[in-house]
Amino acid sequence: MREILIVLGRELKERVRTRSFALGTLLFPVFMVAVLLLPTLTGGAKDRHLVVVNEAPPPISQLFVVALTQAFPTSPDTAAATPRRRGGSQYRIEVVPGPVAEVRADLVARIDAEELDGYIVLPSDIRDTAHVQFRSTRLGDPGMLADIRNAATEALMADRLARAGLNVESVTELLRPVRVDGGRVDERGEEAGTAQASFYFAYIVAMIIYIMIALYGSGVTRSVLEEKNNRIAEVLVSSMRATHLMAGKILGVGAAVMLQMLIWVVVIVLLVTQSAWLAEQFNINPAALNAITAQPGTALLLGAYFVLGFLLFAALFAGLGAAVTSDQEAQSFQMLFMLPLFVPLLFLLQLTTRPLEPLARTLGMIPFTAPVAMPMRMAAARIPLAEVLTSLALLAITTVLAAWLAGKIYRIGILSTGRRPSMRELIYWMRTG
Amino acid sequence: MNAALLLERVSKRYAAHHAVRDLSLEVPTGSIYGILGPNGAGKSTTLRMVMNIIARDSGRIEVLGQPPEGREVLRSVGYLPEERGLYRRMGVMDVLVFFGRLKGMDARDARRTGAEWLERMGLGDWRTARVDTLSKGMQQKVQFITTVMHNPSLLILDEPQSGLDPVNQEVLRETILSTRDGGGTVVLSTHNMDQAETLCDSVCIIAGGAKVLDGAVRDVKQAYRGDRYRLVLDAFSTDTGARNEVDRLLRRYSTSVAVESGNGGWLFELTDFSQRDLLAQVLELPVELECFERVEPSLHEIFIERVGAAARTARREVSDA
Repeated sequence: MREILIVLGRELKERVRTRSFALGTLLFPVFMVAVLLLPTLTGGAKDRHLVVVNEAPPPISQLFVVALTQAFPTSPDTAAATPRRRGGSQYRIEVVPGPVAEVRADLVARIDAEELDGYIVLPSDIRDTAHVQFRSTRLGDPGMLADIRNAATEALMADRLARAGLNVESVTELLRPVRVDGGRVDERGEEAGTAQASFYFAYIVAMIIYIMIALYGSGVTRSVLEEKNNRIAEVLVSSMRATHLMAGKILGVGAAVMLQMLIWVVVIVLLVTQSAWLAEQFNINPAALNAITAQPGTALLLGAYFVLGFLLFAALFAGLGAAVTSDQEAQSFQMLFMLPLFVPLLFLLQLTTRPLEPLARTLGMIPFTAPVAMPMRMAAARIPLAEVLTSLALLAITTVLAAWLAGKIYRIGILSTGRRPSMRELIYWMRTG
Repeated sequence: MNAALLLERVSKRYAAHHAVRDLSLEVPTGSIYGILGPNGAGKSTTLRMVMNIIARDSGRIEVLGQPPEGREVLRSVGYLPEERGLYRRMGVMDVLVFFGRLKGMDARDARRTGAEWLERMGLGDWRTARVDTLSKGMQQKVQFITTVMHNPSLLILDEPQSGLDPVNQEVLRETILSTRDGGGTVVLSTHNMDQAETLCDSVCIIAGGAKVLDGAVRDVKQAYRGDRYRLVLDAFSTDTGARNEVDRLLRRYSTSVAVESGNGGWLFELTDFSQRDLLAQVLELPVELECFERVEPSLHEIFIERVGAAARTARREVSDA
């Protein structure tokens, strides 16, 4: 036991001291904040300056401007006074009279000079064709396109209803859109957060598990390979059991992972407690930050998936390190080992949108995919506890089995150098190790 | 417990060949013991079995009176493997503390002893340096410190001289001698016969995995000394008459004169004659006798003679099979 701790301490120290550990610890929270904030910081929060070329009969252009600039105007007259963001953009609208042929050259020049983001033509036959034109250098901005489409639709509908005999005030009231507040039902009843938030959460947790296993798992292989090629292994196993050496190594690397994650969790908790302030500062949906909160029970289960998943792959990687002879050889095999972990990322959409269907269920049961697949499913839906426990039990059994087999390969592998063993030799090692 | 290390009919077979066969040896406590043999003789395999790194197929091993499988006893052993290596990215002192603790020292003790050894080896300034910034020779010294710092009662060194410059070979030699003088036992493998001859109290020569001979160096040399004599005469070259007489004597012993040595002497290997007869005739010569001595073979010669024979036998066995 003492030797395991000594080896554990060495591995932990060697890892924590590296530059990549410091960088990873620091950069990941920065990266995560950036992922959450970037969409609103770039593109989104910008002021959009548009010109409406009005050929349409009144009051369509007025209704359009109101719809584009105000959430829910009580009256078209007060609209212009309170500009607002729609889909993250804030619009400044200038209305010029048509026909478009007369003003086009001027508008294009202003767009070239980057004074304008684009212009919208409301044609005279808009009531019949229900068609507007939008010319911009920013057609790639799907938010702006959707805003204009929605605003034009609202304006036309309001116009139609008004012509059917309703006054403008009641029309806007009638057209008030419905806001859908998504929430997930779980053990405790209702949980705050939108569907989008669960998706973020699932994605983040799954990515973390994937990245950490890939990163640190390969660290285990490298470390085993170093001891094997340096013959340090010979000295070590003359003082301790090979299996203890392997255990100490895996736990040491695991401790480094846990330390890094702990630092991240602290950062995330800080972020979440400040979510209201952050949301205000950066104009993002506070739910996106709140999404990172999880119930203690869920957190515990997610932790179990991470720990077992890490141990499973670390054991495989330790066995791999003992069986190969060079880093290059190890890398090509690592890719192969990592493949099952990657599969759930390919099925991200199915796992989060249809978490209770056979594909998701299967990926959740297979021990090699479960560590990534289950967090995704658990974030997206309420998975029956029995199913979670079965999946965890399968994972645990596989981990123990893998560690046992890897230990056998390890015992012989770290002391044999030269040629890489053939498959038959590996099986022989497993039987005799 | 008289023997620090005891092997009884130990064998190890790999799929294709017999690495060690029926090897028995006994290393007296407080001695320096050399395991000699050509490349591939099974020296390293033997030492690895002693260190429980590989399992023997049969036979009995006792390390300091206990079977090595117990591992506890291996804590009192310092082992330097043939191929050297350390954690390259660790600091020198961290490496020493790590290995010291694995051998049962506590961290502070390991730090103190490690620092003393680094000073002794001239590495005092390199305490905090990373191992991969050290030269190869320095790394060897650091590894040697990891082997001896826990003050083992048995030191097992596999080819300890390889890669060391003459200065460090001397440091190694001193350490080996002081370990022995401190009551410890040193087992080393080498194919450097001159080193073994000057350093070892006892040796075991193995070839083809089997023991060729073993025993105290003095006894071995005595057993193989044969009837070889060196004769040196004074100023024989000045007197022609005297030289003719010497020539006549030499002709009589022509089948025995093996080597004419450079400093004016002759080497006689007596097979059909006795040393008494030879000496009597020499004394009758009209020249002064300067030196007449029995020549002991060097370990090197014994090794070449015996291992050469063993190799020839092995080749014959292979071709017969």
